[in-house]
Amino acid sequence: MTAAGADLAFLGARQLAGLVRDRKVSPVELTQLYLDRIERLDGRLRAYITVLPEAALAAARRAEAAVMRAEALAPLHGIPYAVKDQFDTAGVRTTSGSRILEDHVPTADATTIARLNAAGGILLGKLNLTEFALGGTQQFPFGQPRNPWNLDHDPGGSSSGSGIAVAAALCAASLGEDTGGSVRSPASFCGVVGLRPTWGRVSRHGSFPLSWSMDTPGPLGRSVEDAALLLQVIAGYDPNDPLTSRAPVPDYSRALGDGVRGLRVGIIRELTFGADTQPEVREAVVAVARKLEGLGAATEEVSLRLVPLAGAIFMALADADGAGVHHRWLRTRAADYDQGTRRRLLTASLIPSAVQQRAARARALLRAEMLDLLARHDVLLCPTAHQAAPPIAAARAAITTRHEAAGRFFTRRSYVTPAALAGTPAIAVPCGFTRSGLPISVQLIARRFDEATLLRAAHAYEQATGWSKRRPPETA
Amino acid sequence: MVSDLTTDHVAALAAALGLPITPDDLVEVTHRLNALVEALEPLAALPLETIEPTARLADEPPAS
Repeated sequence: MTAAGADLAFLGARQLAGLVRDRKVSPVELTQLYLDRIERLDGRLRAYITVLPEAALAAARRAEAAVMRAEALAPLHGIPYAVKDQFDTAGVRTTSGSRILEDHVPTADATTIARLNAAGGILLGKLNLTEFALGGTQQFPFGQPRNPWNLDHDPGGSSSGSGIAVAAALCAASLGEDTGGSVRSPASFCGVVGLRPTWGRVSRHGSFPLSWSMDTPGPLGRSVEDAALLLQVIAGYDPNDPLTSRAPVPDYSRALGDGVRGLRVGIIRELTFGADTQPEVREAVVAVARKLEGLGAATEEVSLRLVPLAGAIFMALADADGAGVHHRWLRTRAADYDQGTRRRLLTASLIPSAVQQRAARARALLRAEMLDLLARHDVLLCPTAHQAAPPIAAARAAITTRHEAAGRFFTRRSYVTPAALAGTPAIAVPCGFTRSGLPISVQLIARRFDEATLLRAAHAYEQATGWSKRRPPETA
Repeated sequence: MVSDLTTDHVAALAAALGLPITPDDLVEVTHRLNALVEALEPLAALPLETIEPTARLADEPPAS
């Protein structure tokens, strides 16, 4: 061992992989370290739905034997990871966070899981999520996930456990799924890095669907380089998902250290300076822009006139897709859904087609505006969320007027859904803390299939600041 | 124009689709639906008629 237990657990996946390769850390010790942390901390945090101690330790022993035989090692060899319980895992219960699937055991791995395992990753378990990855769950069937920075606050969703587990070092890195911010929101609230890849870059095969045209798996890690490492493993064409791109996958780590000198950065005015953005968030994001300028980037304010409506446009389209997925169960098993999920799906089932069509056309217009801006800027910049993690109780309050419904559902989604609607990659990176000690996150958005530039800009900022190195108080 | 679906309207729509809906759910679903329709009303002022609402992007990734 080269570091004490907690210090080791908080190292990044890439650093840990290096230590395993150099025989300075045993995959068995590392796996046991995370299992011990899960045992000690997860009763309060509820990041995991299912933990796999026997299978993980067996895989770790095989990984250790391969190291001792001096075999060629894959990039994640011996690295314990965890996945949102939305991804199929062969022989392991996959609930999608719902009682409806509490006994569902798939017979095959999702493509992403197969690739992570083939790269040497050791699956620690399945992570908590809002029911069916929808968001708005009132009573979590497998326990209320809690924010490690303050247990009374929301960890974000829908990939709630994926954010918690990385922030609290209950795994080295995790996989989430992002339809309209479900990787970036928990990354933002939990103070970790979360990447939404270009739609079509990563296979959706074996992931429970929400919206056909927006779902995409994405990694969460304690650093940008870990997000790059996991993307490298999961990206690429999959014959089981015909909408994945056949374009070659570049080496995402190669350009990480190239800096931002000469990059053109557009600061999205409506999301950064709009009235909904809380002052502490605005100050932190403006400071990011100043930091990038100091590193050699050129910044300017830009406008996307439709982004204030993006949250509502998204819900008219993605929720309607979800209503289609769930129609049969809504008719036959409505009482088995959480109340919040059921009400959201019932609402989506009743959206007038004229409203959906108008939203679909507005989506195309918003996408054209974004792609036009991205033709003139290398990355766009804005807050990941308009506020830091709100109290859990706020999400449970009854909705008694349409104005409360609008405030609860549309405002926050307008920050993360533009990239989903446009199919572009986006990354959430920690950029500070509120006076009450909750993380603040900046979001960078890049051209389709240009994750290399996105990661490069995010890495340059991260290296110049170090917000990602802080540890939550609930994880000692 | 402000959307003003009533609980009776929403109950009838749900019944037509064969969706069971409890009285408590009905009140909140009505608020949610009215909020969504109202939030998207500004789109009516945009020149959207000529825009094709395709979900799939035609642009190709950059050559590597």
